[in-house]
Amino acid sequence: MKSDFEEKMEKQGITRRDFLKFCSVMAATLGLPAGSGRAIAQALETGPRPPIIWLEFQDCTGDSESFLREPTLINLLFDSVSLNYHETLMAPSGTLAEKSRLETIRNYAGQYICVVEGSIPTGSGGVYAMIGGRTALSIAQETCTKALATIAVGNCAWDGGLAAAAPNPTGAKGVGGALPGLSPLINLPGCPMNVVNLTATIVYFLTNNQWPALDSQGRPQFAYGQEIHENCPRHNHFEADRFVRAWGDQGHQSGWCLFMMGCKGPRTRHNCWQVKWNGGINWPIGAGHGCIGCASANFWDQPPSFYNPLPDD
Amino acid sequence: MPQVFLPFVANSAGSPTSQRIVIDPITRIEGHLRIETQIENGRVAEAYSAAMMFRGLEIILKGRDPRDAWIYTQRICGV
Repeated sequence: MKSDFEEKMEKQGITRRDFLKFCSVMAATLGLPAGSGRAIAQALETGPRPPIIWLEFQDCTGDSESFLREPTLINLLFDSVSLNYHETLMAPSGTLAEKSRLETIRNYAGQYICVVEGSIPTGSGGVYAMIGGRTALSIAQETCTKALATIAVGNCAWDGGLAAAAPNPTGAKGVGGALPGLSPLINLPGCPMNVVNLTATIVYFLTNNQWPALDSQGRPQFAYGQEIHENCPRHNHFEADRFVRAWGDQGHQSGWCLFMMGCKGPRTRHNCWQVKWNGGINWPIGAGHGCIGCASANFWDQPPSFYNPLPDD
Repeated sequence: MPQVFLPFVANSAGSPTSQRIVIDPITRIEGHLRIETQIENGRVAEAYSAAMMFRGLEIILKGRDPRDAWIYTQRICGV
């Protein structure tokens, strides 16, 4: 007899084979040993389903778009995790939208996951982002402090990101900066964040009942533990001094190293070379553009340009 | 007479012939939008829309290398 979970998957057009493949992708992303996919599958099939409140503040919705680019992952995540509030996706508007958020906070205090996208403006009393007549800061305070955990997705929610670029006209801060002492807080920087890492973070929690190990900047080690440069498929060209020197030159056409074109791979720690984007289709360096360092703190203020080579040090 | 679609009304006040309706947030769009209307005798007499979020990208772009501009402006909207 089919379980509820199997029936739900079937309705969404996901086969058991898709599901098990998803579980092994999660295990591989998390760097878990072979065979861990089975434990993940079991946890997702039988475990509880925490609701999610997805807050958007000073954002471009790029992280939500990144989230939606992986239909299979999302269908499975929706099945394991119910999304109760997301301004761009939910049906209700106005007070009814806010009602969904408040009801989730009330009914699932300490049980829901709060995802934050975008920075929180603190200048001029917080007027630069208002939802339902309230400041982003007061909404974040109310929602994040009662959550099981807060996940800050994208660079803006991590360190203020784009809005906090000099001269930071609105006093924008990341979640950690706006709500000091908030715990647990998991940061998934990147512009946008990578959906595989968000999914893997939640899957890790559902499987182990604890959050993945974080680095000193609150980022999961599985996703931000390694430098892009040393894992780059163009790294052998770097070693052999084969550099792209102008867009479209022979080296560019041959897929040589983008260091001279300003690639920030040697200073950036992220697993995008592994998980890629848009359903694993490609990533910036694969498409022939240098890394802009979007998973690094304050990457918007790297002088003098994204296109200048990194200085020697 | 056109009917005002009421289920999403945020707050309303006034007499049956004059009513103020605010919908904030407007969902299923990118950004934070607020719509305020003044209803007179069942018709929208005045309507105001307001973008409720500001980042100051024009200010941030000042003085930067022009080659970088697209990387910033691309983030105006990620949809």
